Amino acid sequence: MLYDLRRSDARVRWLVTLLLATLGVAYVFGAWMVGMYAGFTPRSVAATYVEPTTMNMAMPAETTTVVERDVTPAEMGHEEQHQVDRALLVQDTHVHVPMYGVIAAILSVVALGLAIPRWMGFALITLLFAAPWLDFMGMWLTKLASPHFAVVTLAGGWAMGLGYTIVAALALWQMWRPAKGAQT
Amino acid sequence: MKTLILGAAAAALLHITPTVILVDRPEVVSRLLDGADRFTAREVHLSSADERRLHDAAGWTPPDDVITFYLGKRADRVEGVLVFMRVDSPHGPMEVAVGFDKAGAIRGVEVTKATVETKPWIMEALRAGLTDQYRGLASTASPAGAAAVKGKVGAMAAYMAELVDRGVTHAGAAYRLFYR
Repeated sequence: MLYDLRRSDARVRWLVTLLLATLGVAYVFGAWMVGMYAGFTPRSVAATYVEPTTMNMAMPAETTTVVERDVTPAEMGHEEQHQVDRALLVQDTHVHVPMYGVIAAILSVVALGLAIPRWMGFALITLLFAAPWLDFMGMWLTKLASPHFAVVTLAGGWAMGLGYTIVAALALWQMWRPAKGAQT
Repeated sequence: MKTLILGAAAAALLHITPTVILVDRPEVVSRLLDGADRFTAREVHLSSADERRLHDAAGWTPPDDVITFYLGKRADRVEGVLVFMRVDSPHGPMEVAVGFDKAGAIRGVEVTKATVETKPWIMEALRAGLTDQYRGLASTASPAGAAAVKGKVGAMAAYMAELVDRGVTHAGAAYRLFYR
């Protein structure tokens, strides 16, 4: 153990607590946003990231065709499935992956201060970094290979939540649980 | 260390830039298709050749090669046409609604969607009278809204105005080539 959160200065524990709370808020809103734009099912994630051609959508035809249908103003307001095209995914990957790396590193630093077996430390750090890899690998494989890889993105998202939950729960418990024999 | 951690946490929150609705679509319909009591969606599925033609004219191809025009009708006569254009930027997408009147001139332009990040810049450009610049323009004209507000707004608002110009250009090309 490089350091021990249980015996760290109260200011360090307070910092870690606020950090975990802040990241928790970010994750909650992240999940909310995912629900709004991509959904939590393989089908909706695939519809968000897949290239149109792999969804069996029509290739540009030899002649332009026109289809008309009556709509109501309310139907005009109907939101179409949010789609992330290749250019936007390049941009998303560029912006998000470094930040996910920083967050995984910060949570890993917190994990290093936990009183857990060495193998569990390795597993936890691996999980924290594997989650964003799975997340973006799933998005790119869904786009470039097959819509079935949407499950990889879902697995990455859940792994991210799981990693955070394990670190946050263990850290908060170990930092703030009443010491044995302490007066209550 | 603490600065690094807080900076990372702030960045983690700030990188989330969800879409915000500036004007909802029914409201846009009432503003840009005023007087219509029946609406028709006309989906134009472009051929490869027409896709290239549009790209040559406006440097743009629509998502899935489909352009949707919304026709506002009154007593079966078309009163106006509305088209929604998405414009991407490194700060997230925006959506521009462009309404054309019976003669084919621009009746009005509304920015309907932005992101949390771009909304203040877009609002600044709108307050400077950006969308007034497009009213009455022919679909063949080059919009110059950004040039009109330049100097009255900050650099990012001016950049947003350029993106709105781009959306209006795309809408004009789509209307000219595939509606008329």
